[in-house]
Amino acid sequence: MTLLKVEGLDKVFGQHYALSGVGIEIEPGEVHALVGENGAGKSTFIKIMTGVYTLDAGTVEWKGAKVDIPSPAASRKIGINVVHQDRHLVPSFTGYENLFLGLDYPANKSRIGVNWKAMKRRAEQLKNDFGVEIDLNKTADRMSPPEKTMLEILRAMMLECQLLILDEPTASLTDQEAERLFALIGRLTAQGTAILYVSHRMDEIFRLSDRITVFRNGQKVATVVTETTDKDSLVRLMSNAEVKKSQKRSGKAQTGERALELNGLSTKDGMVRDVSLNVGKGEIVGIFGLAGAGRTELLEAIYGLRELKDGSIAIAGRRSNAPTPNRSLENGVVLIPEERKRDALILGMSIRENMTLPVLKRFSGRLKLRSRAERAEVAAWMQHMDVKAAGSEQPVGQLSGGNQQKVVFAKALLSNPVLFLCDEPTQAVDVMTREEIHRLLKTQADRGCGVLFVSSDLQEVLDISDRLYVLHDRRIVAELDNDGVTAEQVLGYCYSHGKGSGHHG
Amino acid sequence: MVEARAGIPYVKLIRTYGTVAAGILIILAFSLLSPDSFATIDNAINISRQISFLVMIALGATLVMSVGEFDLSVGAVASFGGVFAAKMAVAGYPIWLAFLAPIAVAFAIGFVNGWIVTRFRLLSFITTLAMGTILGGLNFRLTGGATVFENIPDGFRYLGQTEWAGIPVLSFIMLLLTLVFWYVMSHMAFGRKLYAVGGNESASRVAGVKVEKNKNMAFALCAVLAALTGILMASRLGSAHPTAGDGLFLSAYAAAFLGMTSFKEGVPNIWGTFVGAAIIGILANGLTILEVPTFMQDVITGCIVIAAVIMQKLGRGKA
Repeated sequence: MTLLKVEGLDKVFGQHYALSGVGIEIEPGEVHALVGENGAGKSTFIKIMTGVYTLDAGTVEWKGAKVDIPSPAASRKIGINVVHQDRHLVPSFTGYENLFLGLDYPANKSRIGVNWKAMKRRAEQLKNDFGVEIDLNKTADRMSPPEKTMLEILRAMMLECQLLILDEPTASLTDQEAERLFALIGRLTAQGTAILYVSHRMDEIFRLSDRITVFRNGQKVATVVTETTDKDSLVRLMSNAEVKKSQKRSGKAQTGERALELNGLSTKDGMVRDVSLNVGKGEIVGIFGLAGAGRTELLEAIYGLRELKDGSIAIAGRRSNAPTPNRSLENGVVLIPEERKRDALILGMSIRENMTLPVLKRFSGRLKLRSRAERAEVAAWMQHMDVKAAGSEQPVGQLSGGNQQKVVFAKALLSNPVLFLCDEPTQAVDVMTREEIHRLLKTQADRGCGVLFVSSDLQEVLDISDRLYVLHDRRIVAELDNDGVTAEQVLGYCYSHGKGSGHHG
Repeated sequence: MVEARAGIPYVKLIRTYGTVAAGILIILAFSLLSPDSFATIDNAINISRQISFLVMIALGATLVMSVGEFDLSVGAVASFGGVFAAKMAVAGYPIWLAFLAPIAVAFAIGFVNGWIVTRFRLLSFITTLAMGTILGGLNFRLTGGATVFENIPDGFRYLGQTEWAGIPVLSFIMLLLTLVFWYVMSHMAFGRKLYAVGGNESASRVAGVKVEKNKNMAFALCAVLAALTGILMASRLGSAHPTAGDGLFLSAYAAAFLGMTSFKEGVPNIWGTFVGAAIIGILANGLTILEVPTFMQDVITGCIVIAAVIMQKLGRGKA
C-alpha cells in the first residue's frame, strides 16, 4: 500500500503561490529524492508535511486514509519525522536526554524521579537495531557533525517513524562521514521506513534514491525512476524552460580597469576557499550558487567581516591587506547586506542618522557635527531616491521595507563608492522596487563603478549581470560571459560539481 | 501608516515629558506640604549639592547604557577614587596629582572592563560585577578597612566644601559635566557612534564604526566619572571610607532608567538622566524634611522607578 499520497497541494503566501497543485507518492521502504532550484518549493513542502504550515488546498492520504497535519506533534504521531540541516539538539544535554526530548521521560517507582535505567535500555536497544555507534553519555556540543546527525535520526526513530525526511543531511559532513549516514539509510529502508531525501548533490541522489521528484517554481514537474534517467536530463527538468536567454548589456563605461581583483582568497573559517575573480570598472558581475555555497561569506570576506587566511584583494588596483569595514569604506567599497534589519539599519535611529553613519567624518568639524550640511545632504538624497517618509527625522523602523531598502542604498551612495557589494539586493521587496534597484545598479555601473552582486534568483543574475561566476561548495567552479547563457548551463555547473568529484578537502 | 505611527499628539507629549511633569508635581506637592522648609532658595541650593554626586556617577552609567552594556563596578570605582586620592593627599603628594592619579587609574580600569567584554564577548553584567568585587577588596587592602581622615590637607577639601557666590562648587561641576556630556552625545560624532552601537551592533560594524573601540571608550569614561564622584565625595566629607561610593551604584541606574523615560523615549540620554537623578534627590530631600524614615524613602524611590518604566512600556505598546 502506498505510504503517503499527496494530491493537488496548494500553499499561498499573500498573492504568491509557493506551491500549486503539487502531488507526490511515496512507497514504504523507498528512498525518494526531492530536487529543485532555490525557491522551487521544497522547504514549503517539508513544512506542510511536518505540520509547520497548514495547506490551503489539496489532500494528504497516509496509508490509504485521509489525514490532517495541523501541528508538528500531529505529524510525529502519525510517523513523519524530519532531520534539518541546522540541527535541533540541546547542546548541554547528553545524547540520552536529547533522545527523549519532547517525549515523556519514563518515571521511576517514586513517580517523581526519572527512570534513567529504562531510558538507557531503550536507547541502547535502538542503537543496536540500527547499528549506530555513538556514545550517548556525551553532551551534544561535544559530538561531531555526523554523530549529531545520527543522534537526530535515532531520535526520529524513537517513535515508530515510517517516513523520515532528510533535508540536506550531508551539508556539513565529509565523505567518510557521509558513508556512515548512507549505511544507516540502508538499514532504515530495509526495515520498511521510507526516506524523503532532499539534496542538491547529484552523486548522492543517483546513488541512494529509487525515484526522484522534481519541483520547479512551486509545481511538480515530474517523478522519474532513478535508473531510467541521468544527470543532464534531471538538470533540464529543474531549469525553467521559460527563462529567457541572457542578452549582453552595452556596458558603455567599461574601460578594462579593475575595480576589484581577488587572487586565491581563503578565509580562516574555511567558508571561502581559493577564490579568484575580478570585477571591471563599469561592469556588473553576478555570483550564483545554491544555498550554502558560500555566497554571503565571500562578500563578507572582501568587505572585511571575516578573517582572511590566504590570497590577496586589490581595490581599484591598490592592494588591500587585512580589510576592515572601516578601511573598505575609505577605499570606496560598500556592502549592501542580505539581512537589512540585522546588518544594514539601526531601526531606532532616524533616516538622517542612518544615512550618514558611514561618512560621519565628512560632517565632523573640529568638535561638533556640522548639522546643517548633514541635513542638506540627507534631504537631497531622500528626494533623489524618492524615500517616502514623514521627514529625515523619522526612525527607519517605521518605514516600509522598500523605503528602508532605499535608505540603505542612499547610505551606500553617500560614500561615493567605486565598488558595490550587494547581497541579495532585491530580496523581499516588491516588483517596482526591484526594477528601481536594478536600474540603480546599472546607473552606478555606467558611472564607472564595479558591481559585484549575489543572488539566489537565477533569472535576476541572467537579467542584469555582464559576467557571472558560479559558486559551489565555497569555490568558483565557472566563469561565464553573460551572452546567450541559459539557466540550464548555469545549473549544470552547480550540480556537476557535487561531493566526491575530486576536490573536496 | 506614517500618520498612524505618530499617534495622537498628547500621547507623545506625555511619553516625552511625562517624567519631567511628574518631577514638577513632586516639587509642587512638597512645596504645599512644607512651604517653610522645602520651598526655599536655601533648600534648592542644598538639593543641588545633594544630587551632584548622583548626577555625575549616573552620567557615566548613561554612557555605558548607550552602547547597550552595564557597568556594575561604578560604586566600587567611586569608593576606590576617594580612598586613593585621600591616601595620596595624606602621603604629601600635591593635591592636583592626588586628584588626577586616581582618575587616570580609573580610565585604565574602565578600559580593561571594556576590553574584557569586547575581546571575549562576555556579558558586561558579570564582568563588571567581578571587577567591582576585586576593587572592593583592594579598597579594604588600601585602607585596612578604616576611614582615612587624619592629616588630610586643607586644600583637599576645597572643591567639596567651597561655595562661589553662595552656590557650591560641586553644583557648578555637576552642571558643567552635564553640559559637556550632553554636547558630546548629541553634537559630536563620538556620541552618534555610541548610540549607533547601542542601537544595532552588527549594522554599526558594517557601517564602519569601530564597535570595540567605542565600547571600550564608553566604559573608560564611565569609570572616570565614577572615580571623580568618589574623589569629590571624599573632598566634601574630608575623609574617605572604603565603601563610601558603593551605595551610589543602584541609585545611578535608577536615575538612568528614569531618564530613559524622558526626552528621547527608550534611549538613555543625558538630560533624562539629570532629571532622573534630580527626582530621586528631591524625593530624598522632601521626605527627610517631612520626617519620613529613610527606609520608606527607598521603598518610594523604588516604586517610582518601576512605575515610570511601566508607563513608558505601556505608552510604547499602544503606538
